Amino acid sequence: MPVWQSIYEELKSENFEIISVAQDTGGEEAAGHIFDDANVSYTAIIDVNHQISSLYNLVNVPSGVWIDEDGKIMRINEGTYAKTHMDGAFGTDDYVPIVRDWVAKGADSEYVWDRSKVRASIVQRTPEAERAQPAFRLGGYYFTRDNDEKAEQYWTMAQELDPTSWNYLRQDLQYEEGGSAGPEWRARRDQVEGAGGNYYAPLEIENN
Amino acid sequence: MNSIRSIAGLTAVMLVSGALNAQSATVLYNERVVELEQTLPDATDLWVKPEDLTRVNDFVLKPEGACLDELCVPVLQDRDSAMFITRRGQAWFNVTELADKLQQAYVTDYNDGIWSFGTMPVTRQSFLRGGEAPDFELMGRDGELVRLSDFRGKKVLLLTWASW
Repeated sequence: MPVWQSIYEELKSENFEIISVAQDTGGEEAAGHIFDDANVSYTAIIDVNHQISSLYNLVNVPSGVWIDEDGKIMRINEGTYAKTHMDGAFGTDDYVPIVRDWVAKGADSEYVWDRSKVRASIVQRTPEAERAQPAFRLGGYYFTRDNDEKAEQYWTMAQELDPTSWNYLRQDLQYEEGGSAGPEWRARRDQVEGAGGNYYAPLEIENN
Repeated sequence: MNSIRSIAGLTAVMLVSGALNAQSATVLYNERVVELEQTLPDATDLWVKPEDLTRVNDFVLKPEGACLDELCVPVLQDRDSAMFITRRGQAWFNVTELADKLQQAYVTDYNDGIWSFGTMPVTRQSFLRGGEAPDFELMGRDGELVRLSDFRGKKVLLLTWASW
């Protein structure tokens, strides 16, 4: 978060905006202090219903989308850390430089994707996965009204309808013993990666 | 025989009282939570008064049909159909039938009368096929509404994260 603030300070005069979306059912209480601690001056949103992931077909956090001056997507669906964390346990230092390159060069940046690559990178949802989002939304409705039993019922339904979404799984696990990055999450991640899948869509930064 | 007659009688009472006592419902769609005082009781579908339609999903019922911007789904309004019926002078519009036509997913808690609707694929072709960024309207932390379309002319890095 503090890294993004420094990037923003560096680039904001170049017609550049960061919209940072905390998708947290727990709302301001859960996520607000993280924005505050980083003293962010870019656009900050707390997205209780995971609306942005619903709209952009995102399945994990953090995720990044590049949107150009005309509202066209230039890159989408990448695990976008601002830097390496925990001695390389997760994150990368490779993403920020390509953001800089794009802000400087626009469509001429070598890191901008063509239309077919953008289209191919948008996650396609099955009809079941389409139903997962209103199920998750319904669970959130009950959660904010302290009906934990029904929240759990519909969050579980969302996970069953869309097993590819880490967002649904981890938001739910946050309220269970073990937490959002505990044994259950670890086991699921190992299972997916063991089968040749990815936890994050791989960050594609080719050096042309 | 008696029991059959009493079941038939009970059913008739339920039908009549159901028709008289339109029930309340709650609709979730995007950020909105819409409370509807009256809907037509139905075991599987959500029927709302035409004037409530726009509050529910932004569609407007016009003579040519249910319309959202350029898109119009034809709806006959001079006779009963799967989408539109009249009971005792009151017109009712079938929101779930429209959703089915638009391939819009929904999940219902029938006990509590809560209907949760997903995104409308039909309004999302420019995203799914054209890679246009879907517009959104969410409350910013500073209390101002944030719309993506307000940032036209700038490059936007949209980032999601979570505390968990």
